[in-house]
Amino acid sequence: MPAVTETYSLGVPVEVGKIDQKLKKLWQESEGAVTRASLMNLAVYSEDPGSLDRNTQLMARITEDHACRAIVIEADCNAENDRVDAWISAHCHVSRAGSKQVCSEQISFRLNGGCTTQLPNIVLSNLDSDLPLYLWWQHEFREPMDPQLWTWVDRVIYDSRPWQDFQAQMRLVESAQTEAKQRIVLCDLNWTRLDKVRFALAQFFDHPTSHHRLAKISKLRIDFARGFRSTALLFVGWLAAQLNWCPEKTDGENKLQFVSSSGRKIDIEIRQRDGQPIHEVALTAADIEFVVTHAKCGDLLEVSRGKPGEKRIPQLMPAGKDDPVSLMSEELMRGGPHHVYLRAVDCVRDFL
Amino acid sequence: MLMNRTADQPEPNPLREGLATRPVPQPCSIVIFGATGDLAHRKLVPALYNVAADGELPPAVTIVGFARRKKSDDEFRRDLEEATRKFSRQPVRDEIWKTFAQSIFYHQSEFGDESGYKALVERLDEIDKTHGTRGNRLFYFAAGPDQFEPILKHLKAAGLNQTCKGSWVRVIVEKPFGTDLASARELNRIIHNSFTEEQTYRIDHFLGKETAQNILVLRFANAIFAPLWNTHYIDHVQITAAETLGVGTRAGYYERAGALRDMVQNHLLQLLCLTAMEPPTDLSADSIRDEKIKVVRSLRRWSRNEIAANVVRGQYAKGAIHGDPVLGYRQEENVNPDSQTDTFVALRLFIDNWRWADVPIYMRVGKRLPKSATEISIHFKKAPAVLFNKDLHDLNVLVIRIQPDEGISLRIHAKVPGTSFHIEPVKMDFHYGTSFGKASPEAYERLLLDAMSGDATLFARRDEVEQAWAFIDPIEQAWHAKKDVPELFFYPAGSWGPEAADDLLARDGRAWRRL
Repeated sequence: MPAVTETYSLGVPVEVGKIDQKLKKLWQESEGAVTRASLMNLAVYSEDPGSLDRNTQLMARITEDHACRAIVIEADCNAENDRVDAWISAHCHVSRAGSKQVCSEQISFRLNGGCTTQLPNIVLSNLDSDLPLYLWWQHEFREPMDPQLWTWVDRVIYDSRPWQDFQAQMRLVESAQTEAKQRIVLCDLNWTRLDKVRFALAQFFDHPTSHHRLAKISKLRIDFARGFRSTALLFVGWLAAQLNWCPEKTDGENKLQFVSSSGRKIDIEIRQRDGQPIHEVALTAADIEFVVTHAKCGDLLEVSRGKPGEKRIPQLMPAGKDDPVSLMSEELMRGGPHHVYLRAVDCVRDFL
Repeated sequence: MLMNRTADQPEPNPLREGLATRPVPQPCSIVIFGATGDLAHRKLVPALYNVAADGELPPAVTIVGFARRKKSDDEFRRDLEEATRKFSRQPVRDEIWKTFAQSIFYHQSEFGDESGYKALVERLDEIDKTHGTRGNRLFYFAAGPDQFEPILKHLKAAGLNQTCKGSWVRVIVEKPFGTDLASARELNRIIHNSFTEEQTYRIDHFLGKETAQNILVLRFANAIFAPLWNTHYIDHVQITAAETLGVGTRAGYYERAGALRDMVQNHLLQLLCLTAMEPPTDLSADSIRDEKIKVVRSLRRWSRNEIAANVVRGQYAKGAIHGDPVLGYRQEENVNPDSQTDTFVALRLFIDNWRWADVPIYMRVGKRLPKSATEISIHFKKAPAVLFNKDLHDLNVLVIRIQPDEGISLRIHAKVPGTSFHIEPVKMDFHYGTSFGKASPEAYERLLLDAMSGDATLFARRDEVEQAWAFIDPIEQAWHAKKDVPELFFYPAGSWGPEAADDLLARDGRAWRRL
C-alpha cells in the first residue's frame, strides 16, 4: 500500500467487518513520519447521489484544522437491495509545528436500502472510543428519529436554511434532543453563518456607556441575499431573545414589529438584495445608527456608528465565508450548549 | 479566558452571550515610549495589527509613538508597516493596514523634555475628539528602565496620570523590574508616585503563552491530577529554559543582569508559581496572584554557605551550535574579557509548605545550550518495588512543553509485546499544533488586550516582584561577595551546561531530563 498522503479518493475498499483491522494496517504501512490525530468522531450523512466524493473533499479541508475520525456516509434509501460498501483513507497535512505530517482517518460508507436501520449500527461500531460524536446531517430529518442513534450523538450539525418546513424539521430535531435526554447540542450552520455579523454588532455595545442604547433601539433593517430569509429572521430572533422583545405584528412578509419589555415598539424590515447572505444590518437607537455592512473586498465587514450625516470612523473586521468548510470550521471551534440559538428560534419560530 | 467579572464591574453586554470571542476593550490611546525600538517594531505593533485584523480592537484605538528621533506620522507608519509585514503572525492585508495605519501617530520628544509631555497632552486631547478614544490612556514603557523615572515624573507633571470621570489610565512596564530588591522597591515607589498598583501592569510575556495559561487548566480542570499533585506522589519537579542563542547584541544589558536576573527572577519563578500554587478561590486576577505569591514566600532561603551547594552558575565557553563553531561568552562583542556574568544557572529549590514538603524543584536556564526548549516536568514517585517494579528505574513523567511545540506528554510503563515480561517506558503525547489547527495568538496580543480590558491576571503584582527579588538577592550577593565566592563554571557552547549542574541532581540520585 502506498504511503499515507493527502487524498481526495475514497481510498481502499474494505469489508465492513474488517475496518479496524485494515485501519491498523494502514497506519503500520505508512511511510515517513506521520502522526494520527483525533479530537472527535465527525460523521457526515447525506442522501444526495455523489455526496461521498464531495464530502471526502470537504473532509480533506476540514481536517486541516480539526483532526478527527471522519465517518462519511452516502445513503440511497430507495435502492431495492440492501448493501453496504466501505472504504478507508487518510487526510494528511503538514502540521504547524514543523514538517511532521498529521493525519486524520476517514471511513466511507455507501448504504443502499434500509437506511434508517443500518445507520446507527454503522456509525456506532466505528467510533474512535472516548471521543465525542458530531453528526453532520446534510439531509432533511424524517421520522422515525432512531433513539439508538441520537442517544450517542453529542452534537448534531445541520443547516436549516434550505428547510421547506422549519417548524416540522425543528420538532424532529427537538425530539432527537429529548431522546438524548437534552445531552445533544443542536448546531445550526444557518446560525453559525451569523457569527461574524453578530460579533460585529455586539462589539458596539461592549462599552458600558453604550449599554443604555440597547434600550432605545427603535429600528432594525437587515438586507439579505435571495435564499437567506431564514438567516435574517434568525438574526432578528437573536436580538429579540437577548433584548427581551416580543413579536407584536407583521405587515406583509418582510415588515415586522416587536415590542420591548418596556412597551417600546421596534420596527423591523428585512429586505432581499443582491450581495452576501446577510449583506447589511442597520440598527437605530435614539439618534445613533449602528451599521454592519460587507466591505467591497468581500471577506471583510465594515462597521461604523454615528448620527445621520456625521463623519464616521469605519473599522474592518473579519466577515467569514459562506462555504461549508468555513462554516464547519467555525462551528467545530465552538463548545458548550447553544442556548442563545434555541432562544432565538423560539422568538421567530412562527415566521420561519 | 481567565477574566472574571467582579462586583464593581458593569453588567455584561447581553449581545455577547454565546459568542466565542471576547468583548472588545474600550477605546483608548496606546502611547508607546521607545516607539522606534525593537520591541515596538517586532512585537507590539504586529500584535496590535493582529488583534485588529481579528476584529478584537474597537475602531477607536490609536497608537501614539513617543520617541526621540525626528519622524513624521507617515514615516513612522511606513516603518511600522515594514516591520509588521516582516514580523506579523498573519499576512498583512492592505485594506486592513490602511484603516489600522490611520490610527497611528508619532510624537517626537526627549524623554526628559517637559514641553514634549505638554504637547502630548494636547495631542491626546485632540485624538480624543477626532477618534473617540474617550480619555482612556495606556502608556507602554518600551524604553530602557533608566528612562522610567523621567517619563513617569513628566507624565505626572503633565497630569497624564489623572483620569476624567468614566475614563482610565494604565501603564505597562516591561522587565527588568529592577535589578535587586532595593531597586525594584525604588522602581515601584517611582511608579506609585504617579500611578496606583491597580493602574500598573508588569508584563511577563511567558504568562501570555498558551501553554503557560494551560497549566491552570491542566491542574484545575482535570480531576485526575489533583490527588497526585503533592509530596505523596511527586518525586521532584524540573523546570528548564534552554536556548541555543548566545548573548547577541544584548551584551550591554546582559553583562549587568546575567541569567539569574534575566530569566529566573521573572519567567521561571512565574512558571513555578503556576505549577505549585494552591487552587485559587476564583479566576480573578488577585485570587490567582494571591496564591502565586504564597509559593514565592514559601521558597526555602539559603544561608550564604548553602548557596554553593544549591545553585550552580556557569558561563559558556567556545563550542558549537548545530555543528557551527561559536564564540565563548567572554569573546562576544561588548563583553568584558574577564566577565563573571552567569549565562547558565541551575538551582535546587524547596517549597516549604504542606503540599510540597521535601519535593526538590530543579530549575535550569542557559544560553548556548544544544537546543531551545522551555518545559516543566513533573516526575512521579516510583511504584512499590514489587511485582514488575523491582528493576524499573524510570519514573512516570508529566511534561508541560511551553515552547516550542507547545503540548503535554505523559510517560508511562508498558509491556513490550512477547512472551516475557519486559517493560519499557512509552510516551502519550499531546501537541497543540497537531490537535488544534488554529494558530495560537502571540503572547503580546493576549497581554495587550488584557491590559486594555483591565484584566491583570497575567501580569505580575508588586509584591510578587519584590518577593521574587527577596529570594534572588542572597544568591546574587553571594556571587558578588569579596570572599568565599561560589565558583563560576565554564561549559562548552552546545553542551547542557557545566558538570556541576549534573552533580546537583546526582547527589540526590537524580538526573536532568533528556530534552
